[in-house]
Amino acid sequence: MSLRRRKLDDERNESINVSPLIDVVFILLIFFIVSATFVSVPGVEIKRPDALTAESLKKNSVLFALSEKDEIFHAGKRVGLEEIPRLIEVASKNRPKPVVIQVDQWADAALMSEMVAKARGNAPSVSIATRKSQ
Amino acid sequence: MTAKRSNPNSEDLEINVSPLIDMVFILLIFFIVATSFVNEIGISPKHKDSTQTISDSPPLSFELTGSGRIMRNGALIQLSEIAPIVKTSSSGENQSVLVKVYPGARAGLATQVMDRALLGGAKAVKLSPMAR
Repeated sequence: MSLRRRKLDDERNESINVSPLIDVVFILLIFFIVSATFVSVPGVEIKRPDALTAESLKKNSVLFALSEKDEIFHAGKRVGLEEIPRLIEVASKNRPKPVVIQVDQWADAALMSEMVAKARGNAPSVSIATRKSQ
Repeated sequence: MTAKRSNPNSEDLEINVSPLIDMVFILLIFFIVATSFVNEIGISPKHKDSTQTISDSPPLSFELTGSGRIMRNGALIQLSEIAPIVKTSSSGENQSVLVKVYPGARAGLATQVMDRALLGGAKAVKLSPMAR
């Protein structure tokens, strides 16, 4: 047996069967495509208030944040109070989405209630994000 | 002889899957990175199914002053008193609660007032911002 012939045989034996790998990767890919909702997070650190009646909120919702310094954030940008109805309209396109407001516990409550009032006109429901109190 | 010839033929027809795997991996990584599993818990001040059936009776109202006090009919009350007040004065099933918020009150306190009102059985809690 020549040296060249043996080398060819070895190479053929060493090749990995990639079909199961492709199967698994495709399944993962489809899972992530289906579960991708592309929620744009407000992108600001929020200290949520405690609540006893907190329940799980709808996943696919429009998020707003009210920071400690009374600034409103949406999708990583600072926005004004007047822009809220327009932003909800843009985010929900033709299917109305619920609105979740992440409120810092030291933010101004009057501003929070104005945000809720503004959002209510364009959303089926407006919720306030909290954490479960121990 | 024919079988031997067909072997190299089928080997030539085999598709090179490496670029496919590359592309699929890139797509996979994109979707993994782009997927954000936002899982919030929170309170909904107004229950969707009860908006039509809220009783006509004037809602219970609480006031939240700028200095962080909770008032009811001009009297100072504690946070823990809200749930019993809502429970005892509930007129029928669909009690709604109005929280008048004055500028300067903390959102954490307003959220807790709403939370206690919901705990007391309120079907809807409305926040109303008050002018200075």
